[in-house]
Amino acid sequence: MRLALRIVSILSLTGLILPSVLFLAGRTDLDRTKWLMLLATIVWFVTATPVMWKEPSEPDKEEVIVP
Amino acid sequence: MDSEQQAQTTAPSGEFEREPVPKSALLGFKSFVGMYAGEHCAGTELTLGPLFVAAGVGAFDLIVGLLVGNALAVLSWMLMCAPIATRARLTLYFQLEKICGRKLVVLYNLANGVMFCFLAGAMVTVSATAVGVYLKFPMPELTDIFPNSVGWVLAVAVVGGLIAVVAAYGYQTVARFANVAAPWMVLVFLAFGLVGLRQFIDATGIEIKSAGDLWHLASTQMWDGGDPQPGKVKFTFWHVMFFAWFCNMAMHIGMSDLSVFRFARKSWYAVASAAGMYVGHFMAWISASILYAYQLHLDPTDNAVLPGPLAYRAAGVAGLICVVIAGWTTANPTIYRAGLAFQALTPKTSRFKVTLITGAIATVAGMFPAIAMKLLEFVALYGLILMPMGAVIFVDFWLIRRFGLESSYAEKSGRLFNWAAGAAWGVTLVTAYLLVKYARIQIYFVSLPGWFVAAILYIVLSKYYQKKVRPTAAKA
Repeated sequence: MRLALRIVSILSLTGLILPSVLFLAGRTDLDRTKWLMLLATIVWFVTATPVMWKEPSEPDKEEVIVP
Repeated sequence: MDSEQQAQTTAPSGEFEREPVPKSALLGFKSFVGMYAGEHCAGTELTLGPLFVAAGVGAFDLIVGLLVGNALAVLSWMLMCAPIATRARLTLYFQLEKICGRKLVVLYNLANGVMFCFLAGAMVTVSATAVGVYLKFPMPELTDIFPNSVGWVLAVAVVGGLIAVVAAYGYQTVARFANVAAPWMVLVFLAFGLVGLRQFIDATGIEIKSAGDLWHLASTQMWDGGDPQPGKVKFTFWHVMFFAWFCNMAMHIGMSDLSVFRFARKSWYAVASAAGMYVGHFMAWISASILYAYQLHLDPTDNAVLPGPLAYRAAGVAGLICVVIAGWTTANPTIYRAGLAFQALTPKTSRFKVTLITGAIATVAGMFPAIAMKLLEFVALYGLILMPMGAVIFVDFWLIRRFGLESSYAEKSGRLFNWAAGAAWGVTLVTAYLLVKYARIQIYFVSLPGWFVAAILYIVLSKYYQKKVRPTAAKA
Protein backbone atom coordinates (compact mmCIF):
# COMPACT_ATOMS: atom_id res chain seq x y z
CA MET A 1 0.00 0.00 0.00
CA ARG A 2 2.74 2.38 1.02
CA LEU A 3 4.69 1.62 -2.14
CA ALA A 4 1.58 2.16 -4.28
CA LEU A 5 0.94 5.52 -2.61
CA ARG A 6 4.54 6.50 -3.16
CA ILE A 7 4.37 5.59 -6.86
CA VAL A 8 1.08 7.46 -7.38
CA SER A 9 2.41 10.49 -5.54
CA ILE A 10 5.51 10.58 -7.75
CA LEU A 11 3.30 10.24 -10.82
CA SER A 12 1.16 13.11 -9.57
CA LEU A 13 4.23 15.35 -9.44
CA THR A 14 4.89 14.42 -13.05
CA GLY A 15 1.26 15.21 -13.77
CA LEU A 16 1.72 18.55 -12.04
CA ILE A 17 4.62 19.79 -14.14
CA LEU A 18 3.86 18.08 -17.46
CA PRO A 19 0.83 20.27 -18.38
CA SER A 20 2.89 23.44 -18.03
CA VAL A 21 5.65 21.91 -20.19
CA LEU A 22 3.04 21.01 -22.82
CA PHE A 23 1.57 24.50 -22.57
CA LEU A 24 5.02 25.98 -23.12
CA ALA A 25 5.44 23.75 -26.15
CA GLY A 26 2.07 24.95 -27.45
CA ARG A 27 0.55 21.46 -27.22
CA THR A 28 -2.31 22.29 -24.84
CA ASP A 29 -4.33 25.30 -23.73
CA LEU A 30 -4.14 27.18 -20.46
CA ASP A 31 -7.52 26.10 -19.08
CA ARG A 32 -6.66 22.43 -19.46
CA THR A 33 -3.25 23.10 -17.90
CA LYS A 34 -4.89 24.70 -14.87
CA TRP A 35 -7.38 21.84 -14.39
CA LEU A 36 -4.70 19.18 -14.72
CA MET A 37 -2.52 21.01 -12.20
CA LEU A 38 -5.41 21.12 -9.75
CA LEU A 39 -6.08 17.42 -10.25
CA ALA A 40 -2.40 16.58 -9.73
CA THR A 41 -2.40 18.77 -6.62
CA ILE A 42 -5.31 16.85 -5.11
CA VAL A 43 -3.72 13.49 -5.95
CA TRP A 44 -0.39 14.63 -4.49
CA PHE A 45 -1.80 15.67 -1.13
CA VAL A 46 -4.05 12.61 -0.87
CA THR A 47 -1.27 10.13 -1.67
CA ALA A 48 1.85 11.85 -0.33
CA THR A 49 0.44 12.89 3.03
CA PRO A 50 0.13 9.36 4.50
CA VAL A 51 3.59 8.46 3.19
CA MET A 52 5.48 11.60 4.14
CA TRP A 53 3.58 12.32 7.35
CA LYS A 54 4.84 9.13 8.92
CA GLU A 55 8.42 9.48 7.81
CA PRO A 56 10.75 10.38 10.64
CA SER A 57 11.48 14.06 10.85
CA GLU A 58 15.06 15.26 11.07
CA PRO A 59 17.35 13.73 12.05
CA ASP A 60 16.71 11.06 9.47
CA LYS A 61 17.53 7.78 11.17
CA GLU A 62 19.33 6.44 8.10
CA GLU A 63 21.50 9.52 8.04
CA VAL A 64 22.61 9.44 11.64
CA ILE A 65 26.25 8.55 11.85
CA VAL A 66 26.83 5.86 14.44
CA PRO A 67 30.53 5.50 15.35
CA MET B 1 14.34 34.03 1.02
CA ASP B 2 13.70 32.61 3.88
CA SER B 3 12.76 32.24 4.91
CA GLU B 4 15.08 31.22 4.92
CA GLN B 5 15.23 31.89 8.01
CA GLN B 6 13.37 28.57 7.99
CA ALA B 7 16.53 26.56 8.01
CA GLN B 8 16.17 25.47 11.57
CA THR B 9 12.59 24.35 11.20
CA THR B 10 13.36 20.72 10.64
CA ALA B 11 16.72 20.74 12.29
CA PRO B 12 16.87 18.78 15.46
CA SER B 13 15.83 21.06 18.24
CA GLY B 14 15.67 20.81 21.96
CA GLU B 15 18.78 18.64 21.90
CA PHE B 16 22.31 19.50 22.95
CA GLU B 17 21.30 23.10 23.59
CA ARG B 18 24.07 23.67 26.10
CA GLU B 19 26.65 21.12 25.03
CA PRO B 20 28.47 20.21 21.80
CA VAL B 21 26.63 17.82 19.54
CA PRO B 22 28.14 14.35 20.06
CA LYS B 23 29.44 12.25 17.16
CA SER B 24 26.54 9.84 17.51
CA ALA B 25 24.06 12.58 16.56
CA LEU B 26 25.81 13.88 13.46
CA LEU B 27 23.89 13.93 10.18
CA GLY B 28 24.82 13.02 6.63
CA PHE B 29 24.87 15.30 3.61
CA LYS B 30 21.41 14.29 2.34
CA SER B 31 19.65 15.73 5.39
CA PHE B 32 20.96 19.19 4.64
CA VAL B 33 20.08 19.09 0.93
CA GLY B 34 16.45 18.27 1.74
CA MET B 35 16.31 20.85 4.48
CA TYR B 36 17.58 23.73 2.35
CA ALA B 37 15.81 22.77 -0.89
CA GLY B 38 12.38 22.85 0.73
CA GLU B 39 12.80 25.77 3.03
CA HIS B 40 13.93 28.46 0.64
CA CYS B 41 10.83 28.19 -1.51
CA ALA B 42 8.70 30.43 0.65
CA GLY B 43 5.65 32.59 0.12
CA THR B 44 7.77 35.71 0.07
CA GLU B 45 9.58 34.50 -3.08
CA LEU B 46 6.34 35.40 -4.89
CA THR B 47 6.82 38.99 -3.80
CA LEU B 48 10.58 39.28 -4.15
CA GLY B 49 10.67 38.13 -7.80
CA PRO B 50 8.15 40.76 -8.93
CA LEU B 51 9.90 43.47 -6.92
CA PHE B 52 13.04 42.96 -9.04
CA VAL B 53 10.94 43.74 -12.12
CA ALA B 54 9.37 46.73 -10.36
CA ALA B 55 12.93 47.93 -9.76
CA GLY B 56 13.54 47.99 -13.52
CA VAL B 57 16.11 45.21 -13.57
CA GLY B 58 17.70 44.11 -16.87
CA ALA B 59 17.89 40.46 -17.98
CA PHE B 60 21.69 40.14 -17.69
CA ASP B 61 21.74 41.91 -14.34
CA LEU B 62 19.04 39.63 -12.98
CA ILE B 63 20.29 36.28 -14.25
CA VAL B 64 24.02 36.81 -13.71
CA GLY B 65 23.44 38.81 -10.52
CA LEU B 66 21.44 35.94 -9.03
CA LEU B 67 23.95 33.32 -10.18
CA VAL B 68 26.87 35.18 -8.62
CA GLY B 69 25.03 36.41 -5.51
CA ASN B 70 23.68 32.97 -4.67
CA ALA B 71 27.13 31.45 -5.20
CA LEU B 72 28.55 33.98 -2.73
CA ALA B 73 25.78 33.08 -0.26
CA VAL B 74 26.66 29.39 -0.54
CA LEU B 75 30.36 30.21 -0.07
CA SER B 76 29.47 32.27 3.00
CA TRP B 77 27.75 29.24 4.52
CA MET B 78 30.68 27.02 3.56
CA LEU B 79 33.56 29.25 4.57
CA MET B 80 32.22 31.37 7.42
CA CYS B 81 29.38 29.58 9.19
CA ALA B 82 29.92 25.84 8.79
CA PRO B 83 33.64 25.71 9.74
CA ILE B 84 32.81 27.24 13.13
CA ALA B 85 29.67 25.12 13.49
CA THR B 86 31.50 21.84 12.87
CA ARG B 87 34.34 22.74 15.23
CA ALA B 88 32.38 24.16 18.15
CA ARG B 89 29.15 22.17 17.53
CA LEU B 90 27.16 24.64 19.64
CA THR B 91 23.89 26.47 19.01
CA LEU B 92 24.12 30.10 17.98
CA TYR B 93 22.62 31.13 21.30
CA PHE B 94 25.03 29.15 23.46
CA GLN B 95 27.99 30.35 21.39
CA LEU B 96 26.77 33.93 21.74
CA GLU B 97 26.17 33.50 25.46
CA LYS B 98 29.76 32.39 25.99
CA ILE B 99 31.06 35.42 24.09
CA CYS B 100 28.54 38.12 24.88
CA GLY B 101 26.83 37.11 28.11
CA ARG B 102 23.26 36.15 28.79
CA LYS B 103 21.82 39.70 28.88
CA LEU B 104 23.21 40.60 25.48
CA VAL B 105 21.78 37.37 24.09
CA VAL B 106 18.37 38.45 25.41
CA LEU B 107 18.76 41.73 23.52
CA TYR B 108 19.74 39.78 20.39
CA ASN B 109 16.66 37.61 20.90
CA LEU B 110 14.47 40.68 21.06
CA ALA B 111 15.88 42.07 17.81
CA ASN B 112 15.52 38.67 16.16
CA GLY B 113 11.94 38.25 17.41
CA VAL B 114 10.87 41.67 16.16
CA MET B 115 12.33 41.01 12.71
CA PHE B 116 10.69 37.58 12.59
CA CYS B 117 7.35 39.20 13.48
CA PHE B 118 7.51 41.59 10.53
CA LEU B 119 8.73 38.85 8.21
CA ALA B 120 5.80 36.67 9.26
CA GLY B 121 3.57 39.68 8.61
CA ALA B 122 4.79 39.79 5.01
CA MET B 123 4.02 36.07 4.68
CA VAL B 124 0.49 36.63 5.99
CA THR B 125 0.14 39.44 3.42
CA VAL B 126 1.13 37.01 0.65
CA SER B 127 -1.48 34.45 1.72
CA ALA B 128 -4.19 37.09 2.08
CA THR B 129 -3.77 38.19 -1.54
CA ALA B 130 -5.11 34.77 -2.55
CA VAL B 131 -8.35 35.47 -0.65
CA GLY B 132 -8.84 38.66 -2.62
CA VAL B 133 -9.00 36.78 -5.92
CA TYR B 134 -12.42 35.38 -5.02
CA LEU B 135 -13.79 38.02 -2.68
CA LYS B 136 -12.85 40.92 -4.98
CA PHE B 137 -12.12 43.50 -2.28
CA PRO B 138 -9.65 46.27 -3.15
CA MET B 139 -6.11 45.03 -2.58
CA PRO B 140 -3.00 47.11 -1.88
CA GLU B 141 -1.14 48.92 -4.61
CA LEU B 142 2.64 48.97 -5.02
CA THR B 143 3.02 52.32 -3.28
CA ASP B 144 0.51 51.72 -0.48
CA ILE B 145 1.78 51.95 3.07
CA PHE B 146 -1.48 51.66 5.00
CA PRO B 147 -4.33 49.16 4.52
CA ASN B 148 -6.60 50.44 1.77
CA SER B 149 -9.88 48.64 2.39
CA VAL B 150 -11.97 47.02 5.11
CA GLY B 151 -12.03 43.83 3.05
CA TRP B 152 -8.23 43.70 3.04
CA VAL B 153 -8.03 44.22 6.80
CA LEU B 154 -10.60 41.49 7.42
CA ALA B 155 -8.88 39.06 5.05
CA VAL B 156 -5.49 39.56 6.73
CA ALA B 157 -7.12 39.34 10.17
CA VAL B 158 -8.76 36.00 9.32
CA VAL B 159 -5.72 34.50 7.57
CA GLY B 160 -3.25 35.80 10.16
CA GLY B 161 -5.52 34.82 13.04
CA LEU B 162 -5.83 31.27 11.74
CA ILE B 163 -2.08 31.01 11.21
CA ALA B 164 -1.41 32.30 14.72
CA VAL B 165 -3.90 29.92 16.37
CA VAL B 166 -2.56 26.94 14.42
CA ALA B 167 1.04 27.91 15.24
CA ALA B 168 0.13 28.11 18.94
CA TYR B 169 -1.77 24.82 19.00
CA GLY B 170 -0.07 22.64 16.46
CA TYR B 171 3.28 23.89 15.30
CA GLN B 172 4.55 20.35 14.70
CA THR B 173 1.52 19.45 12.58
CA VAL B 174 2.07 22.37 10.24
CA ALA B 175 5.80 21.61 10.12
CA ARG B 176 4.92 18.09 8.93
CA PHE B 177 2.42 19.46 6.45
CA ALA B 178 5.11 21.82 5.14
CA ASN B 179 7.31 18.80 4.62
CA VAL B 180 4.59 17.19 2.46
CA ALA B 181 3.93 20.39 0.53
CA ALA B 182 7.59 21.24 -0.23
CA PRO B 183 8.20 19.10 -3.38
CA TRP B 184 4.78 20.04 -4.78
CA MET B 185 5.39 23.73 -4.13
CA VAL B 186 8.78 23.73 -5.89
CA LEU B 187 7.14 22.30 -9.03
CA VAL B 188 4.26 24.79 -8.90
CA PHE B 189 6.83 27.60 -8.79
CA LEU B 190 8.52 26.06 -11.83
CA ALA B 191 5.14 25.79 -13.59
CA PHE B 192 4.58 29.52 -12.95
CA GLY B 193 7.72 30.26 -14.93
CA LEU B 194 6.91 27.88 -17.80
CA VAL B 195 3.34 29.15 -18.17
CA GLY B 196 4.46 32.77 -17.89
CA LEU B 197 7.06 32.23 -20.58
CA ARG B 198 4.50 30.83 -23.00
CA GLN B 199 2.11 33.68 -22.22
CA PHE B 200 4.89 36.11 -23.09
CA ILE B 201 5.63 34.29 -26.34
CA ASP B 202 1.95 34.42 -27.31
CA ALA B 203 1.49 38.05 -26.26
CA THR B 204 4.56 39.34 -28.11
CA GLY B 205 4.39 37.06 -31.13
CA ILE B 206 8.13 36.48 -30.90
CA GLU B 207 9.11 33.09 -32.29
CA ILE B 208 11.53 31.12 -30.17
CA LYS B 209 13.74 28.91 -32.31
CA SER B 210 17.02 29.28 -30.48
CA ALA B 211 18.56 30.31 -27.19
CA GLY B 212 19.28 33.65 -28.84
CA ASP B 213 15.58 34.19 -29.50
CA LEU B 214 14.79 33.37 -25.88
CA TRP B 215 17.41 35.83 -24.68
CA HIS B 216 16.00 38.47 -27.01
CA LEU B 217 12.54 37.92 -25.50
CA ALA B 218 13.94 38.02 -21.97
CA SER B 219 16.03 41.15 -22.45
CA THR B 220 13.54 43.19 -24.47
CA GLN B 221 10.20 42.15 -22.99
CA MET B 222 10.51 40.50 -19.58
CA TRP B 223 13.41 42.31 -17.94
CA ASP B 224 14.09 45.21 -20.27
CA GLY B 225 16.07 47.23 -17.75
CA GLY B 226 13.80 50.26 -18.11
CA ASP B 227 12.82 52.80 -15.51
CA PRO B 228 11.77 51.45 -12.12
CA GLN B 229 8.19 51.77 -10.92
CA PRO B 230 7.39 54.95 -8.93
CA GLY B 231 9.01 54.90 -5.51
CA LYS B 232 11.41 52.08 -6.40
CA VAL B 233 15.19 52.19 -6.60
CA LYS B 234 16.68 51.21 -9.97
CA PHE B 235 18.31 47.78 -9.66
CA THR B 236 21.62 47.04 -11.37
CA PHE B 237 23.78 43.91 -11.42
CA TRP B 238 25.31 45.01 -8.11
CA HIS B 239 21.95 45.42 -6.42
CA VAL B 240 20.85 41.95 -7.50
CA MET B 241 24.16 40.34 -6.57
CA PHE B 242 24.36 41.92 -3.13
CA PHE B 243 20.70 41.26 -2.44
CA ALA B 244 20.99 37.57 -3.36
CA TRP B 245 24.16 37.29 -1.28
CA PHE B 246 22.86 39.10 1.78
CA CYS B 247 19.16 38.26 1.89
CA ASN B 248 20.02 35.32 4.13
CA MET B 249 22.87 37.19 5.77
CA ALA B 250 21.47 36.56 9.24
CA MET B 251 21.82 32.84 8.55
CA HIS B 252 25.31 32.57 7.03
CA ILE B 253 27.48 35.57 7.88
CA GLY B 254 25.20 36.34 10.83
CA MET B 255 25.81 32.75 12.01
CA SER B 256 22.19 31.74 12.81
CA ASP B 257 22.83 28.49 10.98
CA LEU B 258 25.50 27.48 13.47
CA SER B 259 22.53 25.73 15.08
CA VAL B 260 21.93 23.77 11.87
CA PHE B 261 25.48 22.89 10.81
CA ARG B 262 26.58 21.84 14.30
CA PHE B 263 25.02 18.53 13.23
CA ALA B 264 27.06 18.31 10.00
CA ARG B 265 29.82 15.73 9.87
CA LYS B 266 31.92 17.93 7.56
CA SER B 267 31.87 21.67 7.00
CA TRP B 268 31.62 21.23 3.24
CA TYR B 269 28.07 19.91 3.78
CA ALA B 270 27.12 23.59 3.73
CA VAL B 271 27.29 23.33 -0.06
CA ALA B 272 23.81 21.83 0.40
CA SER B 273 22.57 25.40 0.83
CA ALA B 274 22.99 25.68 -2.97
CA ALA B 275 19.87 23.52 -3.31
CA GLY B 276 17.88 26.18 -1.48
CA MET B 277 19.52 29.10 -3.20
CA TYR B 278 19.17 27.90 -6.77
CA VAL B 279 15.66 26.52 -6.29
CA GLY B 280 14.17 29.26 -4.14
CA HIS B 281 16.33 32.27 -4.83
CA PHE B 282 16.93 31.66 -8.51
CA MET B 283 14.21 29.55 -10.13
CA ALA B 284 11.35 30.74 -7.90
CA TRP B 285 12.33 34.43 -8.08
CA ILE B 286 12.69 34.25 -11.85
CA SER B 287 9.36 32.44 -12.23
CA ALA B 288 7.53 34.95 -10.05
CA SER B 289 9.20 37.84 -11.84
CA ILE B 290 8.02 36.49 -15.21
CA LEU B 291 4.41 36.49 -13.96
CA TYR B 292 4.70 40.09 -12.85
CA ALA B 293 6.48 41.18 -16.02
CA TYR B 294 3.63 39.63 -18.00
CA GLN B 295 1.10 41.55 -15.92
CA LEU B 296 2.95 44.78 -16.70
CA HIS B 297 3.15 43.78 -20.36
CA LEU B 298 -0.64 43.42 -20.48
CA ASP B 299 -1.25 46.68 -18.62
CA PRO B 300 1.72 48.89 -17.71
CA THR B 301 -0.42 50.77 -15.18
CA ASP B 302 -1.28 47.56 -13.29
CA ASN B 303 1.84 47.50 -11.12
CA ALA B 304 0.43 46.00 -7.91
CA VAL B 305 2.54 43.13 -6.58
CA LEU B 306 -0.15 40.66 -5.56
CA PRO B 307 0.95 37.02 -5.52
CA GLY B 308 -2.65 35.72 -5.41
CA PRO B 309 -3.84 37.19 -8.72
CA LEU B 310 -0.43 36.52 -10.33
CA ALA B 311 -0.54 32.84 -9.41
CA TYR B 312 -4.21 32.47 -10.33
CA ARG B 313 -3.63 33.87 -13.79
CA ALA B 314 -0.88 31.34 -14.44
CA ALA B 315 -2.02 28.19 -12.65
CA GLY B 316 -5.64 28.67 -11.60
CA VAL B 317 -6.80 27.21 -8.31
CA ALA B 318 -3.58 25.17 -7.91
CA GLY B 319 -1.67 28.46 -8.04
CA LEU B 320 -3.90 30.00 -5.39
CA ILE B 321 -3.45 26.97 -3.14
CA CYS B 322 0.30 27.37 -3.62
CA VAL B 323 0.15 31.01 -2.52
CA VAL B 324 -1.86 30.18 0.60
CA ILE B 325 0.31 27.19 1.55
CA ALA B 326 3.58 28.96 0.75
CA GLY B 327 2.62 31.86 3.01
CA TRP B 328 1.14 29.68 5.72
CA THR B 329 3.85 27.04 6.01
CA THR B 330 6.57 29.67 6.23
CA ALA B 331 4.69 32.08 8.51
CA ASN B 332 4.01 29.21 10.92
CA PRO B 333 7.59 28.50 12.01
CA THR B 334 8.47 32.19 11.78
CA ILE B 335 5.72 33.14 14.24
CA TYR B 336 6.61 30.19 16.43
CA ARG B 337 10.29 31.13 16.46
CA ALA B 338 9.52 34.79 17.11
CA GLY B 339 7.42 33.57 20.04
CA LEU B 340 10.36 31.57 21.36
CA ALA B 341 12.59 34.63 21.07
CA PHE B 342 10.12 36.75 23.03
CA GLN B 343 9.58 34.01 25.58
CA ALA B 344 13.25 34.30 26.50
CA LEU B 345 12.37 37.79 27.77
CA THR B 346 9.45 36.58 29.87
CA PRO B 347 10.18 32.91 30.65
CA LYS B 348 7.19 32.57 32.99
CA THR B 349 4.63 33.36 30.26
CA SER B 350 3.26 30.25 28.54
CA ARG B 351 4.55 29.47 25.06
CA PHE B 352 0.94 29.22 23.83
CA LYS B 353 0.14 32.76 24.96
CA VAL B 354 3.40 34.21 23.62
CA THR B 355 2.87 32.56 20.23
CA LEU B 356 -0.68 33.90 20.04
CA ILE B 357 0.42 37.43 20.91
CA THR B 358 3.30 37.19 18.43
CA GLY B 359 0.88 35.98 15.75
CA ALA B 360 -1.41 38.90 16.52
CA ILE B 361 1.47 41.36 16.10
CA ALA B 362 2.47 39.68 12.82
CA THR B 363 -1.15 39.86 11.63
CA VAL B 364 -1.37 43.58 12.37
CA ALA B 365 1.98 44.04 10.58
CA GLY B 366 0.60 42.06 7.63
CA MET B 367 -2.28 44.53 7.26
CA PHE B 368 0.26 47.20 6.34
CA PRO B 369 1.30 46.50 2.75
CA ALA B 370 4.40 48.65 3.16
CA ILE B 371 6.32 45.66 4.52
CA ALA B 372 5.50 43.34 1.61
CA MET B 373 5.82 46.08 -1.01
CA LYS B 374 9.20 47.10 0.42
CA LEU B 375 10.31 43.56 1.13
CA LEU B 376 13.63 43.99 -0.70
CA GLU B 377 14.57 46.78 1.67
CA PHE B 378 13.17 44.97 4.71
CA VAL B 379 15.09 41.76 4.01
CA ALA B 380 18.29 43.76 3.54
CA LEU B 381 17.63 45.49 6.88
CA TYR B 382 16.95 42.15 8.58
CA GLY B 383 20.33 40.79 7.52
CA LEU B 384 22.10 44.02 8.45
CA ILE B 385 20.70 44.15 11.98
CA LEU B 386 21.84 40.64 12.92
CA MET B 387 25.08 40.60 10.92
CA PRO B 388 27.36 42.35 13.48
CA MET B 389 26.94 39.49 15.95
CA GLY B 390 28.11 37.11 13.23
CA ALA B 391 31.25 39.23 12.85
CA VAL B 392 31.75 39.09 16.61
CA ILE B 393 31.49 35.28 16.61
CA PHE B 394 33.86 35.01 13.62
CA VAL B 395 36.48 37.22 15.24
CA ASP B 396 36.09 35.58 18.62
CA PHE B 397 36.52 32.10 17.17
CA TRP B 398 39.35 32.66 14.70
CA LEU B 399 41.20 35.88 15.38
CA ILE B 400 40.93 37.24 18.89
CA ARG B 401 43.68 35.08 20.43
CA ARG B 402 46.14 36.33 17.79
CA PHE B 403 45.73 39.78 19.33
CA GLY B 404 46.62 38.44 22.77
CA LEU B 405 43.00 38.48 23.90
CA GLU B 406 40.71 35.83 25.33
CA SER B 407 37.83 34.25 23.43
CA SER B 408 34.45 33.48 25.04
CA TYR B 409 35.15 36.34 27.42
CA ALA B 410 31.71 36.59 29.01
CA GLU B 411 31.99 32.99 30.15
CA LYS B 412 35.54 33.46 31.46
CA SER B 413 34.82 36.75 33.20
CA GLY B 414 31.42 35.66 34.50
CA ARG B 415 29.84 38.80 33.02
CA LEU B 416 26.26 38.88 31.76
CA PHE B 417 26.87 41.64 29.21
CA ASN B 418 30.08 41.91 27.20
CA TRP B 419 30.19 45.61 26.46
CA ALA B 420 32.83 45.17 23.75
CA ALA B 421 30.45 42.95 21.76
CA GLY B 422 27.40 45.07 22.57
CA ALA B 423 29.13 48.30 21.54
CA ALA B 424 30.50 46.67 18.36
CA TRP B 425 26.93 45.72 17.45
CA GLY B 426 25.41 49.09 18.27
CA VAL B 427 28.14 51.26 16.73
CA THR B 428 28.09 49.18 13.54
CA LEU B 429 24.35 49.72 13.17
CA VAL B 430 24.72 53.45 13.84
CA THR B 431 27.54 53.60 11.26
CA ALA B 432 25.35 51.77 8.72
CA TYR B 433 22.50 54.18 9.44
CA LEU B 434 24.77 57.18 8.92
CA LEU B 435 26.11 55.72 5.66
CA VAL B 436 22.57 55.23 4.36
CA LYS B 437 21.28 58.56 5.62
CA TYR B 438 24.14 60.92 4.87
CA ALA B 439 26.52 59.17 2.48
CA ARG B 440 23.52 58.03 0.41
CA ILE B 441 24.81 54.48 0.20
CA GLN B 442 21.85 52.19 -0.39
CA ILE B 443 20.99 49.66 2.30
CA TYR B 444 21.93 46.74 0.02
CA PHE B 445 25.58 47.80 0.11
CA VAL B 446 26.26 48.78 3.72
CA SER B 447 26.40 45.27 5.16
CA LEU B 448 29.75 44.45 3.58
CA PRO B 449 31.68 47.40 5.05
CA GLY B 450 29.52 46.95 8.16
CA TRP B 451 30.98 43.48 8.75
CA PHE B 452 34.53 44.88 8.81
CA VAL B 453 33.47 47.75 11.06
CA ALA B 454 31.95 45.26 13.53
CA ALA B 455 34.99 42.96 13.39
CA ILE B 456 37.53 45.76 13.92
CA LEU B 457 35.45 47.40 16.63
CA TYR B 458 35.12 44.14 18.53
CA ILE B 459 38.89 43.64 18.55
CA VAL B 460 39.67 47.25 19.52
CA LEU B 461 36.99 47.43 22.19
CA SER B 462 37.97 44.02 23.56
CA LYS B 463 41.53 45.31 24.10
CA TYR B 464 40.12 47.92 26.45
CA TYR B 465 37.33 45.79 27.93
CA GLN B 466 39.46 42.76 28.72
CA LYS B 467 42.00 44.95 30.52
CA LYS B 468 39.28 46.55 32.58
CA VAL B 469 37.18 43.46 33.31
CA ARG B 470 39.36 40.59 34.51
CA PRO B 471 38.36 36.92 34.22
CA THR B 472 36.94 35.30 37.34
CA ALA B 473 39.93 32.97 37.70
CA ALA B 474 42.39 35.88 37.48
CA LYS B 475 40.48 37.76 40.17
CA ALA B 476 40.63 34.79 42.47
